[in-house]
Amino acid sequence: MVAALTRRFGDLDIAEEAAAEAFATAVERWPADGVPPNPGAWLTTTANRKAIDRIRRESKRDDKQKEAQMVYDDDPGEPPGAIDDERLRLIFTCCHPALAMETRMALTLRMVGGLTMPEIARAFLVQESTMGQRITRAKAKIKAARVPYRVPSAEDLPARVSGVLAVLFLVFNEGYLATGPDSDPVRHDLTAEAIRLTRLIRTLMPDDGEVAGLLALMLLTEARRTARVSASGELVPLAEQDRGAWDVALVAEGHRLVRERLAAGVAPGRYQILAAINAVHTSARDVRDTDWSQVVALYDQLVRLDASPIIALNRAIAVAELDGPEVALAAVDRLEDKLAGYHAYHATRADLLRRLGRSQKSRAAYDKAIELAGNTAETAYLTRRRDQLG
Amino acid sequence: MQYLVSVIDDKTGSATAAEMAAINAFNDRIEAEGHWVFAGGLAAPTAATVIDNTGGGEAVFTDGPFLESKEYLAGFWIIEAADLDVALKLAAEGSKACNRKVEVRPFL
Repeated sequence: MVAALTRRFGDLDIAEEAAAEAFATAVERWPADGVPPNPGAWLTTTANRKAIDRIRRESKRDDKQKEAQMVYDDDPGEPPGAIDDERLRLIFTCCHPALAMETRMALTLRMVGGLTMPEIARAFLVQESTMGQRITRAKAKIKAARVPYRVPSAEDLPARVSGVLAVLFLVFNEGYLATGPDSDPVRHDLTAEAIRLTRLIRTLMPDDGEVAGLLALMLLTEARRTARVSASGELVPLAEQDRGAWDVALVAEGHRLVRERLAAGVAPGRYQILAAINAVHTSARDVRDTDWSQVVALYDQLVRLDASPIIALNRAIAVAELDGPEVALAAVDRLEDKLAGYHAYHATRADLLRRLGRSQKSRAAYDKAIELAGNTAETAYLTRRRDQLG
Repeated sequence: MQYLVSVIDDKTGSATAAEMAAINAFNDRIEAEGHWVFAGGLAAPTAATVIDNTGGGEAVFTDGPFLESKEYLAGFWIIEAADLDVALKLAAEGSKACNRKVEVRPFL
């Protein structure tokens, strides 16, 4: 195991320390939690995680590069082998449709991602004991109902993979825009984990469009991470971000994936379209160069696939750039009864009203948005915009 | 491994002729495939009697079902399946055949 770790992390010291810590954790936890179905894989996954943690803690420049490598390319040229098979079996088991969505997310993060219980509890804003119970019950159900520990058969794979993608997308979103008044607004450990697992699924299904689409979407979003939150902890919207701070390599990889899917000539699914929208945005050197008609055209495609009011809202935001805020506001107002409880609905209205010079209505909408917003950086940003009104 | 597949109903009235035909076809198939252990439809909850013989004295009989609820157990299958995936697939077909919701639960 140390050999494999060394091969991956290129550092025997880190490998040995990580392996030792993994064994120590096993000694500590297995008597209480039970021995996992594949102890070797558990140890390796845990050791990998501890090694990554250590590399992150050390802030030397070449270690940052190593960390970057892990986000960019999970297994540089190594043959998949037994360990990846193990992780895939684990992911599909943790994401089984017989488990509730929040259980799937928690279980995946714990068993595959190796996050600690306190970390996962914090991510989902529940007590540690609640999270512990949720995971214990899930393991008990898996055992009692005999959820099979395997990668699904070829005929079941497409449906099961979309279930896994949904879990990974939710995990990524939680990392991208973490909820909770005391959370860090952007949680890199979750986004990096989501990307890593999506890459793993891609090794299993290299020709699947939605897997590629989700990976592209995550990479293009992650590329903007450092530009998303200001030094003062405020959300920086896309239009105001310092595009020079975007990660060039992640953007390039995301674009490559999007082009690959376009060339495939297959009707794109949800994630592919969302990735393409992000690709249009990240292709513009300056926000004023954004090809908004392309963005609206892509949203038109997406709306046909997914009638969600949130997509309609995002489409309206793009329409504002093309046809002006008045037209967009009319479209947004039509979503009132569906989105009245959603902070972004009010934030969008507030922004459009502000652009139309209707300050009082804008202020009221900002107030509503702030009341409903769950993310510290967003709240700060919305508060500032509201206070800037005349 | 055996699973109980309970049929959940919320209105009176047994299966239609079409539903019966589908259920019979389903039963024939799973019997041929070796999954069928037992199956049956139940009379309406009004035909039920509850007996409490846990106390020290005589057994107490109560007319009617255990739970007064809108939804009730209308019938069930007991199936043999290697794992939950197999059981769920069979139960999904069962749900389609009898045109009602079903609950899949493992035996101990």
